[in-house]
Amino acid sequence: MKKKKYWYKIDNAGKIFPAVSKDDRSNVFRLSFYLDEVVDPLILEEAVNKVLPRFETFAVQLKNGLFWNYFAANNHHFKVSPESAQLCKYFKPMNNRGYLFKVYYHDNKISLETFHAITDGTGALHFLKSIAYYYFKLRGFKIDHEGKILSEKPYSKKESEDNFVSNYDKDKRRNLQEEKAYHIEGERFSHHWFLFLKAKVNTKSLIELVKNKYHTTITIYITALLAYSIYKESNDFTGNKKPLKIFVPVNLRPYFDSTTLRNFSLYIKGTYDSMRTDWTFENMLELTKEQFKDQLDKDKLQSRVSSLVGFEKNAFLRIMPLFIKTIAFKIGYNILGESISSCSISNLGIVDLPSGFKDKILDVDFVNAAYGLSMTLISLDDYSNIIFSTPIKELAIINHVISSLVNEGLDITLDTNFKEDYDEIL
Amino acid sequence: MKYCKSCHVHYDTTLEHCLLCNGELEQEGEQVSVYKFSDIMIKSHSKFFYRLFLFANIISAIVSMYLDLRNGLPLTWSLVVSITNLYAIVMFIILAIPTLWTSKLTKSIIVTAMAIVLLGLAIRDYSWAIDYVFPIAVGTNIFLISLLIIVNKKKWYDYFAGLIIITIIGFVPGLFNLLHLTTERLPSFICFSYALVTFLGIVFLPSKSSREEFKRRFHV
Repeated sequence: MKKKKYWYKIDNAGKIFPAVSKDDRSNVFRLSFYLDEVVDPLILEEAVNKVLPRFETFAVQLKNGLFWNYFAANNHHFKVSPESAQLCKYFKPMNNRGYLFKVYYHDNKISLETFHAITDGTGALHFLKSIAYYYFKLRGFKIDHEGKILSEKPYSKKESEDNFVSNYDKDKRRNLQEEKAYHIEGERFSHHWFLFLKAKVNTKSLIELVKNKYHTTITIYITALLAYSIYKESNDFTGNKKPLKIFVPVNLRPYFDSTTLRNFSLYIKGTYDSMRTDWTFENMLELTKEQFKDQLDKDKLQSRVSSLVGFEKNAFLRIMPLFIKTIAFKIGYNILGESISSCSISNLGIVDLPSGFKDKILDVDFVNAAYGLSMTLISLDDYSNIIFSTPIKELAIINHVISSLVNEGLDITLDTNFKEDYDEIL
Repeated sequence: MKYCKSCHVHYDTTLEHCLLCNGELEQEGEQVSVYKFSDIMIKSHSKFFYRLFLFANIISAIVSMYLDLRNGLPLTWSLVVSITNLYAIVMFIILAIPTLWTSKLTKSIIVTAMAIVLLGLAIRDYSWAIDYVFPIAVGTNIFLISLLIIVNKKKWYDYFAGLIIITIIGFVPGLFNLLHLTTERLPSFICFSYALVTFLGIVFLPSKSSREEFKRRFHV
């Protein structure tokens, strides 16, 4: 049944985003499916509007309360739009009928760009899979969903649960102080434009490499490789007093038996001393393994969840009027928010689609356009896409990562949103 | 598909040169790659006129105050100019930020009423502003939003916050009466009474949905 009068408190991860988002810090991420046919915008729009009522956490608009923002039901008709050249572009919900996500089309590509306040990668992927399923259904194809399309399953209240709050344990709170991190600096592209560079590799070859040669996981290997590339290619890293900190979001759902579609991820980080001058890839890899093993512990994760929720449960903060909180968040985020991380790597894993989609969805993208350099990983069928996005024109670090993968014997195909004549306008 | 001999990577793009080494790419086989993104369309999104507007208003305020002070005059006409400049800037911001038109209207009426009170204070003759303009403007605003809620019941929750804020502001003319700041008390009394009735109506006559709206708006 279509409900019209629900509302949600914003979850812990999403509370700060409405206050601090702007043109050059959109807090928007993109997921794209490349279809085997040119997308029909009218059918796509119909598909989105068919699916939306099932996804209550997406069918919302941001409202101002006296103390906090909240999400209220949004029953407006959703409009899809042609893809913007700017990846993960900041948008004002007011100009998008109140919705906090955009659905774009371009040739054979459907892109979902979502404001991080409503969900994380896992939630957005469920939504996009359902949109694609309905799109093909409306096009007249009969595809068995095989239990992999959420819109075809009965709605569960657990999908809209705030699992940060439900896993809060007052006694497990601890002080979460973060030291400042080294920053990758350089000349930026104009017009808030981000470079997108996708390296497509065979998943089996990549797994064989990381398992047999390095006895680790893809995420740990890529994190160590990025750290080593920054160490090798940055002139100002060695001797810099701030350590390199690579943030890696972790999907908390498997740890806490959650099926929520709202934000439920937390970062772990690889930290590398910038005063050390004898780093090798191997010792960076060993350090990454140790750090990740240490941080990926359920008790430690719950302790961090509790600390974050504990902060918002502070009585003084709660009774502070929203407009003061907004100013405080803006100032706090400008001082601390971006200074604690150097870059990020987000691995969304394998996109599990029904077998009927095998020849219909040809490729996927997952893009997180954040400060400095962002890497994302996503796999479909036999291939994995390692995607770099950066607002900075300097490509030495990316070059080093790709060269290292080539030197390990991987066959790489690159794709990019850059064109040769863009040098004149960016 | 294309290939870079130096970097040993394939390219599935329309690029002619390798992004990593700038070397020329070789065509591999028959398959022609296409550009899979939207082309950049640079729009002139200059904030020049906004900045010029801001700059002109600030200069206008500074120059008028400087002229008053240089001539040894009390700040009177320069205050009128400065308040008008400030009013122009605030109104511009209110109208430029995308939000509900009712919110824009409410904010505009409140800011206009306050600007008029400030102008009254600047010319040392504020009684007309406090006695008539302020209570009538606020009272009219309460009436308009109440009317909107009654007429457009489906969207009443969009106007709810505005109604609460303007109702609370509606108590201010009553305060002016209490503090003997007014010479003509009737408009302020009517505004205060109307605000009080509206406020009591909000508190004591809530439907289930308005109670829910209260819960949303005031959750801590």
